[in-house]
Amino acid sequence: MNRPAAAAAGAGPAGGAGSAGGAGSAVERYLADIAARLPGPARAQAGILTELRSGLLDATDAHAATGLPPAEAALVAVREFGDPGQVAAGFGAEIATRQARRVAIALLVTGPLVGLLWVATALASHLGIPLAPHWPWAGPAPGLRAAVYLVAVAAGVTAWAALLGIATTGRLTRWRPARPRQAPMAAAVAGFSAVSADGLGLAVLAAQLASAPGQLSPVLAGAAAAASLARMMLARRAARRCLAIRASLT
Amino acid sequence: MRAETLKGHLDGILLAVLEPGACHGYAIMEALRVRSGGQVDLPTGTLYPALHRLERAGLIQASWSVAGGRRRRVYQLTVAGRRALDTERSTWRDFSAAVTALLQPAQPAVNPA
Repeated sequence: MNRPAAAAAGAGPAGGAGSAGGAGSAVERYLADIAARLPGPARAQAGILTELRSGLLDATDAHAATGLPPAEAALVAVREFGDPGQVAAGFGAEIATRQARRVAIALLVTGPLVGLLWVATALASHLGIPLAPHWPWAGPAPGLRAAVYLVAVAAGVTAWAALLGIATTGRLTRWRPARPRQAPMAAAVAGFSAVSADGLGLAVLAAQLASAPGQLSPVLAGAAAAASLARMMLARRAARRCLAIRASLT
Repeated sequence: MRAETLKGHLDGILLAVLEPGACHGYAIMEALRVRSGGQVDLPTGTLYPALHRLERAGLIQASWSVAGGRRRRVYQLTVAGRRALDTERSTWRDFSAAVTALLQPAQPAVNPA
């Protein structure tokens, strides 16, 4: 019996890989095989590998209790676990779905907050479109008006895609056929739409700064711009990750 | 019994196995084997993603427990899971009654001679 303590304790993705021979090595080789095929962040993988390891070691113990030598018991346990590709594929879909759900929720929550900052900025800066078109000094230029409509469209697409991503990954999951590539796509669309909405908002702000900087409320405009910039960067990274994880699904 | 035969029923079966109380992965697999009289013998590894999916759907909840220096993920039914199990049961009863009736050899036609 030379089961390494690290393997039993479950220390990270390749934890306990230092074991040589015996019950540990077949299990650790199998886990390393699965780890190599799992998508997503190491944090998500670590929990899965710990769980699988304890399952494999429980099975190994059960077989050893019937009189099999430990190394053979581990081999039987690994064989019963099945094709590592199949196990990893099952988890891959799950990891992708969970990530997509997190991204979609984050976008849906931050969207209205960032939007409110922009609306507050517009109101405080007397750019109340279309609330005050009759004020000659606040009448929006046609270009500005078009840009604002574009922002609204991008925000709408973000919300729609994020809602789709959330709806198809929660409780409704049971009543829908499993389509693990759909949620990451919805989340990516939501992410890139959010990037467009924030980018357009910033462009409108820049245009306003160039033409009539005096009208702008500096505090609110600064806060809205900072919020949009931060969200743009985070949304872009999240959307790219969703696409990458989607591409890794078989 | 092969995985394809069970397809569509695995969720309900897992919920039923968890009904008496919380279980970790290996115990769930053993319960499947024992309760099916050895008929259900799936690749153990494929159970785990199914459990994670049920967890995401809110039908079971998981927590870590440590025993004998081994960290295990223990699953138990949620209220929604119990409701889903009830639904699964009545659906299965209707379905199996209908299929049993349909698969029965047809009664030989009574010849009125």
